[in-house]
Amino acid sequence: MRKYAMVIDQRRCVACMACVVACKKENDVPPGQFRTRVIEKVEGVFPEVRMELRSELCNHCENPPCVYNCPTGASYKRKEDGLILLKKYRCVGCKSCLAACPYDARYINEKKGFADKCTLCEHRIKEGKEPACVATCVGKSRIFGDLDDPKSPVSIALKENHSEVLLAGAGTKPRVHYIKIFSKPE
Amino acid sequence: MEITITGINAATFPHLHVWDWRVAMYLFLGGLSAGLAVMSSILNVRQGGALTVNERAASTAQILVPVILSIGMIFIFLDLERKLNVFWFYLTFQPLSPMSWGSWGLLVFYPVSILFAIAAVPAANRHRLLFRQLIELAEWLQKYRLHLAAANFAMGIFIGVYTGVLLSSFVARPLWNSAILPILFLCSALSAGAAMMIMISSQKKVKLFFTKIDIWLIISEMLLLPLFFYGQYTSSYAHRESIMPFFLFNHEYFWYGLAILFLLVILPCALVIKLLEIKEEHGETLPPDALLKMKLSAIIVLMGGIIVRFSFIYAGQLSHL
Repeated sequence: MRKYAMVIDQRRCVACMACVVACKKENDVPPGQFRTRVIEKVEGVFPEVRMELRSELCNHCENPPCVYNCPTGASYKRKEDGLILLKKYRCVGCKSCLAACPYDARYINEKKGFADKCTLCEHRIKEGKEPACVATCVGKSRIFGDLDDPKSPVSIALKENHSEVLLAGAGTKPRVHYIKIFSKPE
Repeated sequence: MEITITGINAATFPHLHVWDWRVAMYLFLGGLSAGLAVMSSILNVRQGGALTVNERAASTAQILVPVILSIGMIFIFLDLERKLNVFWFYLTFQPLSPMSWGSWGLLVFYPVSILFAIAAVPAANRHRLLFRQLIELAEWLQKYRLHLAAANFAMGIFIGVYTGVLLSSFVARPLWNSAILPILFLCSALSAGAAMMIMISSQKKVKLFFTKIDIWLIISEMLLLPLFFYGQYTSSYAHRESIMPFFLFNHEYFWYGLAILFLLVILPCALVIKLLEIKEEHGETLPPDALLKMKLSAIIVLMGGIIVRFSFIYAGQLSHL
């Protein structure tokens, strides 16, 4: 069984937004809506200023609150690889998944009305390709692979670096890991 | 600190706003119908049904339950983004989803409340059912009136508590994520049901009976509200921040401050009016001014129920982990 995950090496992100654009193009995301975002956080007072660049997307959680709260089973966790996906034909647009997601990773597709989200480009994975955001990342900040494969890029990145997940206290066990720009391994 | 985000979705930024007045109205009307179901069951069972003799509410309250619920259901239906897919609620059961429990619960609640409404029609009024089959059904169901009252009571409690459970299950929204919320919503629902009974009942003894019930429910609500805020305040940072809209009293959160001020004023007001009502010597029938006071206190309680639902639905979406 595969266990797909993503590592975001914040040290290598240049906030070029290519991932945001590639995702929209690849997945035909409606105008004004996004499956991934980039946060630029500037702290301090000049000249002592530091910037954190963090790209966020669906965390494909081990304990996905959006799946637990879905009343129709439209949102589900795929058994083979743990991806959190959506059976669009079953979605009623009740928006409980939007309310349940601590990462605000979902949105209501303006064209179709269903609660859309990142699929980690599962249609590309099926063809042996990387997700569009990973393939397009110029700084190689986004790393994708199988956590159960010790030779995969994500396993290596996690082994070699200290990583964190977003809102660990929420108990969702995210599968998107962050190698923070300001925290280096011992 | 300066934050720039590229790729924000309007539904979740700067804060979640996916549920609006339609959901708040559904929660209120659902709660009201649940509370009314519980109270109408009590009316039919209390003192072996003696309270129902010549009582208008004995036949109208049960009918109002599915009617009010249906109006609430229209509101929630209007909120769905893909209305034609609504049948999917009933092609699956998701044990971890409170909304799935609720949709199946409503499917049980509807027939139970309708059957109870038919069973509770007094023998003298059965001819008003118009159809012969309905009259025969009412006669047959009469044998099971107590069982239906018990089922109606249980389903009323279930629906009353479910809306709160639905909100409290969202770990991402700290204001809702409290175990007190379902009990607060249930209490508010029962209180609204008792207030409705006071408004529609015709006899003094029935009005006073439900006034006494409502007094206890208002006291419970007045205890639960500060307990809820205390629990949030002493919990995590996100939980503490989640209640701030109610207490900051600035222009941004004006309506939440007003809501809490209203609750702080109107619940004790309703309580005092009700306490005076039961202490007063009314004589055989209620004079017009006493009736007016009873209706006024009932309206205040209903307003309290609406304010609780609206303020919690909107403020909960401002909160974030």
